[in-house]
Amino acid sequence: MAVSIAQVISVINQMEAAGVVARYAIGGAVGATFYLEPVATLDVDIFVAFHHQAGQVVVSPRPIFDYLTARGGVVEGEYIVLAGWPVQFLPATSPLVEEALAEAVTVDVEGTPARVFTAEHLAAIALQTGRAKDHARLLQFIEAAAINAERFQGLVRGHGLLDRWQTFERRFLQGPS
Amino acid sequence: MTFDLQRILESKRALRRSLAQRPVVEKLALLDVLRDRVRVIRAAAAERAATMAREAPSEDHAQPRNP
Repeated sequence: MAVSIAQVISVINQMEAAGVVARYAIGGAVGATFYLEPVATLDVDIFVAFHHQAGQVVVSPRPIFDYLTARGGVVEGEYIVLAGWPVQFLPATSPLVEEALAEAVTVDVEGTPARVFTAEHLAAIALQTGRAKDHARLLQFIEAAAINAERFQGLVRGHGLLDRWQTFERRFLQGPS
Repeated sequence: MTFDLQRILESKRALRRSLAQRPVVEKLALLDVLRDRVRVIRAAAAERAATMAREAPSEDHAQPRNP
């Protein structure tokens, strides 16, 4: 079965091996699909960590775009289109996402290793981001029992998300009183 | 087929469970299909909105001006 996302992952593996980024992991709806039923999405979110360079304060996506356009990628605004998929590269902008990147797991996709956030990190990031579609995703994780509750609660406490979690619980998990 | 809401909801849950349990490769392939459907739906919606905007009377024509 030819899966175009597997082609995307293959190119990104090569990019990481070439040292353009220090580490990558798949997040967002595509990441969630590794644990849940597939949900329609138009893009692929790839979180990246960069190699630290002395004196460099602001990281630029330019090396990523240069590498990928040289290999057939097409830039469309903030995205670069690979194998028909608009791919967005996102830097780790919070300790939670940094931890998610560090602890991401490798899953085999048609012989291609794909690094993806753990289910608990995806759920915690959804809670942190907090848009309607993120809440829907978090509910999916809970209803499907796809997360380890103890590990998830550890992330909630460790990353200052307890208030958000309690609000989420009241809104979506507790029946009307 | 039934209009029993509880049975409908349970069958939806069962479908979601069965989709979630499919191999990752199959689920990623489904993303391709879903993405293509979303693109078609969005294009059709945009076209419909553009058509409605073209056909809607402008304010100048819709409301008589005061003499």
